[in-house]
Amino acid sequence: MTESKLSIVDLTKKYAAGLAPAVDRLNMEVEEGHLVALLGPSGCGKTTTLRMVAGLMDPTAGSIMVDGREITQEPVNKRGMGMVFQSYALFPHMNVEQNVAFGLQMRQVPKAEQKARVAEALDMVQLGHLGKRATKALSGGQQQRIALARALVVEPTLLLLDEPLSNLDAKLRDTMRTEIRSIQQRTRATTLFVTHDQDEALDMADRIAVMNGGLIEQFGSPIDVYERPRTHFVANFIGQANFLTITVGEDVGPASAAGERNYKIEVPGLGHFGAVGASGLTGRSLPVLIRPHRLRASLQPSASVQELKGTVEQVSYTGDTLSIAVRVGDEVLQSQLHTTSGSLPHTGDTAFLSWDPEHAYILPEHAKAVAA
Amino acid sequence: MSEARLFKPRFNPAKPIFNIVVFLLYLFLLAPLIIVFVVSFASNQYLSFPPEGFTLKWYQALPSETIFVEGMKVSLIVAVFVTVVVLAIGVPAALALQRFEFKSKAAMEAFFLSPLLTPSIVLALGMVLLFGPLNLNNTYTGIIIGHVAITIPFVIRTTIMSLATADTSCEDAARILGAGPWTVFRRVTLPIIRPGVIAGGVIAFIVSFDEAVISLFVAESGLPTLPVQVLRYVENSADAAVAALSVILILISLAVVVVVERVMGLRKALN
Repeated sequence: MTESKLSIVDLTKKYAAGLAPAVDRLNMEVEEGHLVALLGPSGCGKTTTLRMVAGLMDPTAGSIMVDGREITQEPVNKRGMGMVFQSYALFPHMNVEQNVAFGLQMRQVPKAEQKARVAEALDMVQLGHLGKRATKALSGGQQQRIALARALVVEPTLLLLDEPLSNLDAKLRDTMRTEIRSIQQRTRATTLFVTHDQDEALDMADRIAVMNGGLIEQFGSPIDVYERPRTHFVANFIGQANFLTITVGEDVGPASAAGERNYKIEVPGLGHFGAVGASGLTGRSLPVLIRPHRLRASLQPSASVQELKGTVEQVSYTGDTLSIAVRVGDEVLQSQLHTTSGSLPHTGDTAFLSWDPEHAYILPEHAKAVAA
Repeated sequence: MSEARLFKPRFNPAKPIFNIVVFLLYLFLLAPLIIVFVVSFASNQYLSFPPEGFTLKWYQALPSETIFVEGMKVSLIVAVFVTVVVLAIGVPAALALQRFEFKSKAAMEAFFLSPLLTPSIVLALGMVLLFGPLNLNNTYTGIIIGHVAITIPFVIRTTIMSLATADTSCEDAARILGAGPWTVFRRVTLPIIRPGVIAGGVIAFIVSFDEAVISLFVAESGLPTLPVQVLRYVENSADAAVAALSVILILISLAVVVVVERVMGLRKALN
């Protein structure tokens, strides 16, 4: 399959003068064969971006390039892309084979070749036996796989997926997630994937673009955006997060990650702890991020480690894990424990919270006021 | 024993009353049709009720009534052309009104639906005055223009209903797969909205075939349609031949509706 590189430069979409732009000078580079997730809450501009790349919507400004060739002005039917929609968008009056063959007919591929390629595409999504069926008679998962086959059979320059899994039930969603990812890796189709589901993005993507208010807040690998979020919004949107506002103290040497330093930090009024962050933060007041499952909670104080002492306010048992909310001064911190650990805390217990310095990450900037 | 009584539904006096009301309502609606049907087999010399005997002579007389045969021919030609023209204008108009945003959208929508709100006698009078200088009175073109004007709201309504329920991402999918605007319309949009288009076409055909007021004003002397001929016939002679003709017309309409319902599901299209 053809591999293509996508570049987006200063892409902007304004629906009406006076309104805040839906997409605001967005820049992004997608490498060949990568699957990039556009992740964000509804209204963040991710679908608008996808529709502009597809050519279904004209940008107000900026340009879109595939393999260095500008396609911003190219009409949608000349772009040679493939797209899968949330609603599947199969043609209801055609059977499965006719649906898949549509793009090949538009390209005037000879009949015999059409037939072979349709069969191959249907085999790829394991639906080779359903070619003559009416699409209405199929389940949601089957319909979405046919939509995928229809998009891939034309060997698109780019594969665009617009929330392809959100109409499926939870179990099927997991199966389809794995299947789409493996087909994408096999075909090496450069893919743009719109989703509001952080798990989907972390699981499937090579790179994640976290979008908020028409802007990309962070563009990076799943590990990057989870472990080293650049903003409060990213930390909060991807995974669960505890924030403590701290004062950064003395730099005590290089951390294990390149370019990062170990710091002593002071939680005002509660003691001194350790954390990691970018260089040159000493003296600043910044939020520190600790993921709930990395915040240890125990019922006995430890002699060797500095701890935060608090009261268990809420306990939520979900089988594999136990989530507790611990009040420490004015803050409420979430901690996740494995249910294998001996004695489980109850509401009202005194808990002692601690963490390893490398699990506390000092965000490089202050929380912006984020609209709820 | 007491158990059986427990499950016996309680007698609800509202139910039989409701059934009687419904029955009377149907009777009221169908009474004219029933009377016409009965009278068409009646041996009364004049158009009257109740019947005095049974006869088929009115049906036998129909083919020799040249004015009916002529009128039928004119009406069929008009209705066929009206259906074709009204679909050719109405479907693109509905598409524009439903799918695109433009400045005068509300005004255009009101314009296309306005014939429904105007008394047809007013339209008919206006047309006679307008067609005079254009030499369109007593021509097929004149009648067809008149009928297109009054049937276009139906076609636009049914087509817009189909468009509103259709998933626009099907059209987007086709465009991305390489189809140009015309191919998208022909291979995706049109098949999806087909029920609405056909329903609109059937209604337009029946309305045109049945229309009397405009035809009477525009083309009474030169090109009388079947309803105009019936009107004239009843003015001059009062036998039951028109009743027989009416029964045939009812059967034709019924046949059209049944065929379309079987093939397409008209009910689905009209909902």
